[in-house]
Amino acid sequence: MAVADNRITFWFGCNMLRHAEMIRLSIMLLERAGYDVSAAGGPSYCCGTTFDNQLHAASTMAARTVASFNAAAESEGRGTVVTWCPSCHMHMSDIMAPGNAAAFDITHITELLADNVDRLAPLLQVPVKRRVLLHRHAGFAATHVPVNDRVAALLGRIAGLELAEGPAVPAHMCSSLVPVPGALAAAAEATWAAARAAKCDTVCTIFHSCHRELSALEGRDGLQVRNWVQLVAEAMGVEASDAYRGWRNGGAPDIAAIERADPEKYKRLIEPELRRPPPLPPVARG
Amino acid sequence: MTQLPPARADTTEAFLAEAGPRLADLCTACGACFKACPMVDHLGLRGSDAEAATAGLRLLATGAAAPAETVKWVAACAKSGLCVSACPERAAGLDAMLLVRIARQRAINDTKQVSIKPDPALFPRVKIFARLQLTDEELGKWL
Repeated sequence: MAVADNRITFWFGCNMLRHAEMIRLSIMLLERAGYDVSAAGGPSYCCGTTFDNQLHAASTMAARTVASFNAAAESEGRGTVVTWCPSCHMHMSDIMAPGNAAAFDITHITELLADNVDRLAPLLQVPVKRRVLLHRHAGFAATHVPVNDRVAALLGRIAGLELAEGPAVPAHMCSSLVPVPGALAAAAEATWAAARAAKCDTVCTIFHSCHRELSALEGRDGLQVRNWVQLVAEAMGVEASDAYRGWRNGGAPDIAAIERADPEKYKRLIEPELRRPPPLPPVARG
Repeated sequence: MTQLPPARADTTEAFLAEAGPRLADLCTACGACFKACPMVDHLGLRGSDAEAATAGLRLLATGAAAPAETVKWVAACAKSGLCVSACPERAAGLDAMLLVRIARQRAINDTKQVSIKPDPALFPRVKIFARLQLTDEELGKWL
């Protein structure tokens, strides 16, 4: 791989900031696959997809983000932007680029790592004895990147890991089901029913918003919830902690972290999300 | 690798204004996208007239008001993408999901048939999540 080809921008989006460990693991996997990674995300790199009610503001955000990536391509040779978030990826290809001249191409992280699986495979030395149901969505995979197949290809290289077939539930990821009454619960139930039927012990999420929603179901029917980067890291012998999953299941951040973040804002903005009901009601006990 | 398309406009706002009528012109209101959409079941619209619903889609994409069924449908788009492959005009350049997306935007901003509640805490919330977990170096380099 030529040096000019291995310099990438990893665009992790806004809402991945709930999952700092997953950002770090993603960077680690990209680096171990041979890439020089510059990570970018948060509001300064917003795609604008959530601002359909403020089209001018969304347009300004899109222009700013494309300009930043153009600058990285021109000044640092980072001509490839690697996405994580399917909303960002779709918005870039369908709306941002047609409205802003882009000096870069995009690829999804699962696509890039699957293309480089032979570089990663020798690092997957630790057997991961899990029977895994991959939580798949129909959207994005059908229209932009065959992400379900790419993740399956990566997990398929992990010794000891058995992958079970499951349904491809509607939407591009779970967050877009939240506003539709009953849709998120139906998707979660379909996933859990398939996992139970296949006698799995783990449900594997692909995207952050699915992980955000489903991690509240950790332990239900004996199923653990893990993201694909966590499983790959586990096979590398790398610790894959998950603060958000712990917080969503009754834990809380360290008091020093809350003090640093701002206690008032933590209580007002974060706690309601962490304490909201899970997408499925509690299992009735006889 | 996704090779990005060349720019068709100077801003995304201008692109969306141009794309709505253009995609609406390609649409024949055959109803295939509506029938393929899994959200139709969740919304209780499965028995509705699919052709009428997609005729409304064309109206919305040009900024004109649409029937209630169309509005309810486009407002609930979850980006399943099943409409894209179901559309018989795909080869002609019709991206059905983008058409639905633009129709939804028009229903919010032009015809005012969809009301969405902006979340002013969206960015503040992710910034607090970042400060809970990222090091100063990560905050400085990534955001």
